[in-house]
Amino acid sequence: MNRYSDLEYLRLSRGQKFAYNFTSFFAGIPQALKNAGIGIGRFFQRIALAIGGEFADLYKTFRDGDWKTKSSYLVMGLGSIARGQVLRGLLFLLFELVFIVYMVLPQGGIFWLSKLDNLGDSGPHKEMVMQYGQSVETFVAGDNSFRILLYGVLTLFFIVAFIFTWRLNIKQNKIAEGILKSGKPLRSGKDDLRSLVDDQFHKTLLALPLTGILVFTVLPIFFMVLVAFTNYDAEHDGLNNLFTWVGLTNFNTMFNWTAGGKSYSAAFGEILTWTLIWAFFATFTNYFLGMLVAMMINKKGIKLKKLWRTVLVLTIAIPQFISLLYVSKMFAKNGLINLSLINLGWIQPGQELPFWEDPTWARITVILINIWIGIPYLMLIATGILMNIPADLYESARIDGANPVQQFTKITLPYMLFITGPYLLTSFTGNMNNFNVIYLLTGGGPTNASISTGGAAVGHTDLLITWLFKITMEGGNKYYMASVVGILVFVVVALISLVVYSLLPSIKNEEDFQ
Amino acid sequence: MSNKNITMEEGQPRLKRSMGQKAANRISNTVIYILLIVISFIWLLPFIFIFLQSFRAELRGPVGYVVPHTWGLDNYQRLLTSNFKKWYLNTFIIALVVAALQTVIVLCMSYTLSRFRFKLRGPLMRFMLILGMFPGMLTMIILYRVLKDLGLTQANAVPGLILVYVASSGMGYYVSKGFFDTIPKSLDEAARVDGATRSQVLTKIILPLAKPIVIYTILTAFMGPWGDFVFARYIAFGTSSGYNVAVGMFDWLSKDQIGQWYTTFCAGGVVVALPVTILFMCLQKYYVEGVTGGAVKG
Amino acid sequence: MASVKLTKVKKVYDNNVVAVHDFDLDIKDKEFVVFVGPSGCGKSTTLRMIAGLEEISDGTVEIDGEVVNDLQPKDRGIAMVFQNYALYPHMTVYDNIAFSLRLQKVPEDVIYEKVTNAAEILGITEYLMRKPRALSGGQRQRVAIGRAMVRNSKVFLMDEPLSNLDAKLRNQMRAEIILLRQKLNTTFIYVTHDQTEAMTLADRIVIMKDGFIMQVGTPEECFDMPQNLFVAEFIGAPKMNIIRTELGKDGSGYYVKPFGVKIPVDGSKGEALKAKGAATGEILLGVRPEHIQMAHAGDPGAIPVTLEVNEMMGSELHLHVFTEDGTRVIVRIPTIDLEPGEREKLVAGYKMYITFQGKVMHFFNAETEKNLLTD
Repeated sequence: MNRYSDLEYLRLSRGQKFAYNFTSFFAGIPQALKNAGIGIGRFFQRIALAIGGEFADLYKTFRDGDWKTKSSYLVMGLGSIARGQVLRGLLFLLFELVFIVYMVLPQGGIFWLSKLDNLGDSGPHKEMVMQYGQSVETFVAGDNSFRILLYGVLTLFFIVAFIFTWRLNIKQNKIAEGILKSGKPLRSGKDDLRSLVDDQFHKTLLALPLTGILVFTVLPIFFMVLVAFTNYDAEHDGLNNLFTWVGLTNFNTMFNWTAGGKSYSAAFGEILTWTLIWAFFATFTNYFLGMLVAMMINKKGIKLKKLWRTVLVLTIAIPQFISLLYVSKMFAKNGLINLSLINLGWIQPGQELPFWEDPTWARITVILINIWIGIPYLMLIATGILMNIPADLYESARIDGANPVQQFTKITLPYMLFITGPYLLTSFTGNMNNFNVIYLLTGGGPTNASISTGGAAVGHTDLLITWLFKITMEGGNKYYMASVVGILVFVVVALISLVVYSLLPSIKNEEDFQ
Repeated sequence: MSNKNITMEEGQPRLKRSMGQKAANRISNTVIYILLIVISFIWLLPFIFIFLQSFRAELRGPVGYVVPHTWGLDNYQRLLTSNFKKWYLNTFIIALVVAALQTVIVLCMSYTLSRFRFKLRGPLMRFMLILGMFPGMLTMIILYRVLKDLGLTQANAVPGLILVYVASSGMGYYVSKGFFDTIPKSLDEAARVDGATRSQVLTKIILPLAKPIVIYTILTAFMGPWGDFVFARYIAFGTSSGYNVAVGMFDWLSKDQIGQWYTTFCAGGVVVALPVTILFMCLQKYYVEGVTGGAVKG
Repeated sequence: MASVKLTKVKKVYDNNVVAVHDFDLDIKDKEFVVFVGPSGCGKSTTLRMIAGLEEISDGTVEIDGEVVNDLQPKDRGIAMVFQNYALYPHMTVYDNIAFSLRLQKVPEDVIYEKVTNAAEILGITEYLMRKPRALSGGQRQRVAIGRAMVRNSKVFLMDEPLSNLDAKLRNQMRAEIILLRQKLNTTFIYVTHDQTEAMTLADRIVIMKDGFIMQVGTPEECFDMPQNLFVAEFIGAPKMNIIRTELGKDGSGYYVKPFGVKIPVDGSKGEALKAKGAATGEILLGVRPEHIQMAHAGDPGAIPVTLEVNEMMGSELHLHVFTEDGTRVIVRIPTIDLEPGEREKLVAGYKMYITFQGKVMHFFNAETEKNLLTD
C-alpha cells in the first residue's frame, strides 16, 4: 500500500483517513509479527552469547587465577576463607556440603532423579520376603509417583541453584583477587552484614517474598505443566496406582475433533467463546458505567458527593461471597424476585422468570450482576483520574466551542483511555479468570449437555477457569486435563496481552509514568 | 497526598453561564439526583434485605416477602449452636495473620521494585508478569497434596491456608509499587546524602509517607480471607471444623439445606459483614487513596 | 574543606547512551565551581556521580585525595541541595535540618545549637516548627540549604537550587548564596542552566554540551575569550551575533568584511591575530550586542540595516535589525546614549546604520568553530 506523508494525510477526507488507518493497521501486522520474531530470536541469541561468555570467563578465571581461586572450583568458598572473608566462605562451603549430602542421601536427589524417567516402577504390592528362613508374603509400599515428580522437580531446581551459586563463588573469587591486586582491602564479614541493610538492602527485602513465590507459585506451576504430560487422575493418584508419562496424548485428547460429538475441543471452543464474550462485557460495561457514575457524582453543583460515594464504596466492604450467594438465590426459580412477582400477581406460578434456567437469561443476568459488583470500584478509579485531568483543558475546549458531549468524547474519554490502558488489560484478563462471580452465582449452570465431556458437567456460563475447577473436582479428577486447560488459559491470556501491549503506547516505558 | 479531597469543584471551568444554560443545568442536575437515588437503592437493597430477613422467625427458607412477619433472634441463636462459631474464629485468625504477614511481604516487594535499580529488576518483573498469566487455581492441586503430606489440611486447614495466602502474596505488588512511585526519588537521595542507610531511608522517610498504602495493604489483606472460597474449600474439603465462613455458609444455600438455613445464612452474613464493613468505613479514606493513587499506575 | 578531582569520569547508561565523556577537572579547596550548560548536557549527571547517587561507569572521583567511587553518598563527606528541595514532608523544619545529625547520634543539645544557628543565618527561625508544606518556595529553599549547612561537609553540592523560584526571588537568593559561601568558606559545586547564575557566583565556570566540557575558566575568561562558538553564544545575554564573513589581510593589517563593509581589526585583537599568524579566509565573526554602536551614513565601517523589532528594557533597548542580505543582528543600546527625539523614530522599518570596532571582535574557525586566538 502507498504511504502518505503527514501533509498528504491531512488533506484526506475523514472516510479516507479511516480507511487509510484501517488498512495500514492490518498491513502493519506482518511487520509487527516479524519484529516480534526477530525480538525473540535476539533474546535467544543474547542468552546463547551470555552463556558462551560465562564459559569463556570461567576458563579465563581459572587460567589466570591464583591457587585460592583455582581451589574454589572444587571446594566452594575456600578462596574466600583463604583471603580472610571467612563468613562468606563458610556460607559457600556450607551450601556445597548441604547440596552434596542431599544428593547422595538414600532418599536424596540422585534417588529421585533416577526415578523421574517413568515416575516409579511399581505401586504398593505384596512381595515374598525371606524371614526366619521361610518366605513370607509382606506388604511393600512401593513407589509414589507424586513424590517422585515433586522431589524430582525440587532436585532440578536445587541443581540449578547450585550451579548459580557455584558460578557466583567463582566470580567473587575473581573480584576479590582483583581488589587485592590493586592494593585495596577486602570487605570483612561485618561489612557484608552491614551492606545487607544498606547498598544490598534490596536482597534482604526480596529474600522472603521471592522464596515464597518460588516455592508456592513457580514450583507448583512447573509441576502442573509437567502433569499435562502424565495420566495423573483419581485412578492414577500416584500412590495406589502409579501415574506415568504419556507424552502429548492429553493434548491430542483436547484437540481431537469429533464432529457433533462430546469432544474436549468442542467444549473448549464454546467455553472460550463465552469466556471472551464475558470478559469483554464484564470489563467494558463496568468501565463505562463506572465512569458515568463517577462523572455524575463529581459534576459541579451535585451535593452530598460524599454520601453517594460512601453508599457505593460500602458495597466493596461486604465480602463477595455473601452478596453473590444472596443475589444468586434472589434470582432463583423460587427466589425473592420470582416469589414477589407471583405475590404481586404479575406472573403465575410455573411461569417464573428463568434467570438461571435459560442459557441466554443466565448469561445476561451474570453480566448485569457483575455490573452491580464492579461499578463501585471503577467509580473510585475513575474519580481519581477525572480529578487529575487539567481543568484548563476543559476551559480551552469550552472557549473553542465544545459542548459537554464533545468535551467528553474529545477530552475525558481519550484521557481516561490513555491512562487506564494497562488497567483495562489486567481487568480483562482478570475477568477471564473471574472464578468467584461465576461459581457463586450460577456454578457454571445451566448445564450444557451437548458439550459436557469427560465426566465433568459443563454449563452455559462456565468460564475456562470454572471448567478447570470442575475437571479437578468431578468425573475422576482428571488433573492432567485440568493442567492442559490451565496451559491453554495461559496461552490465551499471553496472546491477548502481547497484542494489546504492542498496541498501547502508554505501557512501553515504565519510567514515563513516574 | 493525604489531604487530597475528592471533589472536582476547584477543577471545574469558571466561566459565566447564560440564563438558558442555567435552566438546562438545573434540569440535568435533577435528572442526576434521581439517577443517583435509584443507584443508591439498587446498591443497598440486597443488603437491607439480608439484614431484615436475618430477623425473620416464622419461616427459614426463601419466601416472597422481605419484612418479617414475626421478628426474632432465632437465627442468631442458631449461629451460636452451629459450627459457625468455629468457622468465624478460623476466618478471623486467618485474616489477622495474613493481614500482618502479607503487608510486610507486599511492602518489601513493592518498595524494592520501586526504588532499587538492580540488574535483575526488569527480568524479575517480566517473569512475574508471565507467571501471573497462569491461572492460580492450577497450583491448588499440588499445594493440597503437599499440605496434606505436611498435615496442614482438613482439620488443620487454618495454618495451611495462611501459608498459601501469604507465600504468593509478593505477586500482588502492583498497587503499592504504583504508590511508592509517586513519592519523589529525590527524598531518598537527600536522606542518603544526609547519612541514612538504605534501610533507614525506608523506616524513617518512606514508611511515614506511605501510611495510606500501608493501611490500604493491611485492609485488603484482611478482607481477602473473609471472601475466599475456592482455596479454602479445596484445602478444608469435607472437614467442617477446618472451614472458613465462606465455605461453611456456602453449604447452607445448597438445594437440600436452603429450606432450613436460608435465614440463618442472612444472620451469618450480617455477623460476617458487620466488623469488616465498620473497619472499612473507618479506613475508607486510605482505601480510596490506595485505589486512586496506586491501582491505575500499577 | 577539600579538593575534588575528577579523572576521566564517564557515564554510560544501560541503553549505551553516553551522558558524560571523559570528564577531567581539578577543583581546589574552597573554590566555587559552576557546571553550566543546556539541559541534557550531563552537568547534573556529573554532580550526581560526585555525590554517589549515580554510578560512575569509568574513571575516578577523588575527594580530599581519597578515591570515593565505591563509597556510599553518606560516607563521602558531602552535602547536597536538590532542585525540588527534597524536604521530608512529614517532618518539621527543625527535624528536617536535624535529620542528618540525629543519624550521626549527635547529642540533642548540640543539635539544637547547630539547627538554631543555621536557622538564624538563613532567617527561618520563626518557621522551625512548621511542616515544609506550609512554606513558600524561597523558605523551602532556605531549609534545604540549612539542612546541608549543619552537616559540616567537605563539599557543598547544589543541583539547580534556584530554578524553581520566580525571577525576583532568584536574584535575591543568588546574592544570599554568595554571602553563605563567604560564611561557610568551603568547596562548592553548583549546577545550573542559567549563565547569569554561573557568571555571578562562580570562581570558575565549567561549560558543558552533550557530555563534553566546552570550556573551563573564570567568568571573565569565558566572557572575554570564549574558546569556541558554543561558549560564545551561551555566555552573555542577548547572545552574541555571529556573522559569516571573510578575514582578510592587507598592508595595514587584518580586516573583516561583514556585509561587504570593510572594517579593520585594530587594537589588541589585531595584534593577537598577527602574533598567531592567523590564516585568512572564511571565518565566523562574533560581536556581542552591547559592543555594537549606532552610526551615521558615511561613517567608516557603517553598515546599513533596517529595524524590525524594538524591545524596550528600561535602561536599554534591544534592537533587532536585519542587514541588506537579510541577516538578523541584535544591538543593545543604553537608553541614555540616545539623542533627543531619536527614540520615537525607532519603530519597525526604520533605516539606520550600525558599526563596531576591532577590539570587540571574536574570530572562530568556520569549520571547527574554535576560537582562532586560543586554538
